[in-house]
Amino acid sequence: MSTESTEAIVIRQADFSETSRVVTLFTRDFGKIATIAKGARRLRGPFEGALDLLAQCQIVFIRKTSNSLDILTEARLTARFRPEARSLHSLYGGYYIAELLDGFTEPYDPHPNLFQEASLMLRMLEAGDRPLQAVLQFELTILREIGQMPVFDSCAACGRPVENNGSFSYWVSQSGLLCRNCQKEEFSHHQIPAGTVEVLRRLAEGDSETASRLAISPAQISSLRRITVPALIDILGRRPKMLRYLG
Amino acid sequence: MTNDADTHPYGAAVGTLIQRLSGLPGIGRKTAERLANHLVSCREPDALALAEAIRSVRTNVRRCRSCFNLTESEICRICSDPRRNRHQICIVEQPRDVVSLEAAGVFQGLYHVLGGRISPLEGVGPEDLTLDALVRRVRQDEVTEILMATNPTLEGDGTALFISNLLENEPVQITRLARGIASGSVLEFANREMLADAIRGRQNF
Ligand SMILES: [Zn+2]
Ligand SMILES: [Zn+2]
Repeated sequence: MSTESTEAIVIRQADFSETSRVVTLFTRDFGKIATIAKGARRLRGPFEGALDLLAQCQIVFIRKTSNSLDILTEARLTARFRPEARSLHSLYGGYYIAELLDGFTEPYDPHPNLFQEASLMLRMLEAGDRPLQAVLQFELTILREIGQMPVFDSCAACGRPVENNGSFSYWVSQSGLLCRNCQKEEFSHHQIPAGTVEVLRRLAEGDSETASRLAISPAQISSLRRITVPALIDILGRRPKMLRYLG
Repeated sequence: MTNDADTHPYGAAVGTLIQRLSGLPGIGRKTAERLANHLVSCREPDALALAEAIRSVRTNVRRCRSCFNLTESEICRICSDPRRNRHQICIVEQPRDVVSLEAAGVFQGLYHVLGGRISPLEGVGPEDLTLDALVRRVRQDEVTEILMATNPTLEGDGTALFISNLLENEPVQITRLARGIASGSVLEFANREMLADAIRGRQNF
């Protein structure tokens, strides 16, 4: 048993008893952890309402060596997630980030960069102007962090390098691009509009600060999410619940 | 853990009672044992009256056909009270929230119990709540004000947002409880004065 302290985002909660809750957190230094928070349901408990879904807090917890739940002893709120604009898309985008963090990471497998990105995308969703771009950026971040980013710089069939504005399509089963010569009817693939490939490559390179400043059209976003979503479903083995709400 | 039902020195019946009692919220083993001892040694009619009260609650209590609060009749006491303002509806997540708000004694309209909150990650969608019935009520009863009293959590606020979008084209004013109650907490733990203030100080949604 050891006492640890780190920054965390609440990604799941369930009432456990009259006063306690099981709280799953995605932490900066330890990855995903499952804790029991005693007194969390009281109005003036030790957590003072900090344990809301997607709230970011500074936490202290006792790490158990056995496979029982860790014990959350302290949580101080740093940022509550509350989309400013009255947009359900921003709210559902936030839930989706929680779902992806929970579904794509293992307990005690730290991804500090993913934590950083999640926090950044939650702030972008709060600002509310381009919720689906935040969703797309986070989907790409997840794929990159778990080492499953599709290859976007060459044709998946012949290896020819991708040129800007060339005519490409996305080969679903091979998670890669197909150049014009390799686009055969027997392959399940869909066309990617010219220019969109370049946007995709710039997004895939990382640096979400820059990516957030890119103006991506709604059409480009939906075209790119036809690449990221099947890739995520394939790895997860099921459709994320939030897709139904996000469209 | 030992199996009380089989090993209790007084026999299996007392053991089973202790097990049942300790399954209730807030009741530990020690308390369960004290209660069981009491029930074994108190006057028999008193003990049986408790058993009958439990049976009666389970057979007679159902959901109000109009507001989905718990009641013993078709329509609950609040909905059938002629002194209440039928054009004001306060929306809550659970029947126990009605109890808390009634204790504050400030709200004079009717309630609508959603039966939960929209919680997509836990598999609870809008179709699992009593929203169709709410929209029907709003239209039929010429409702003029909807007071959102969902819990001030992300999901509670999100549910209120969903409902306000749903009622966008209805001629109702939508208000919410004042923010006296700490975000991230739940109504059932708020005290009477806080709730009374939150209702009096309600704001446009
Ligand atoms: Zn090729
Ligand atoms: Zn009623």
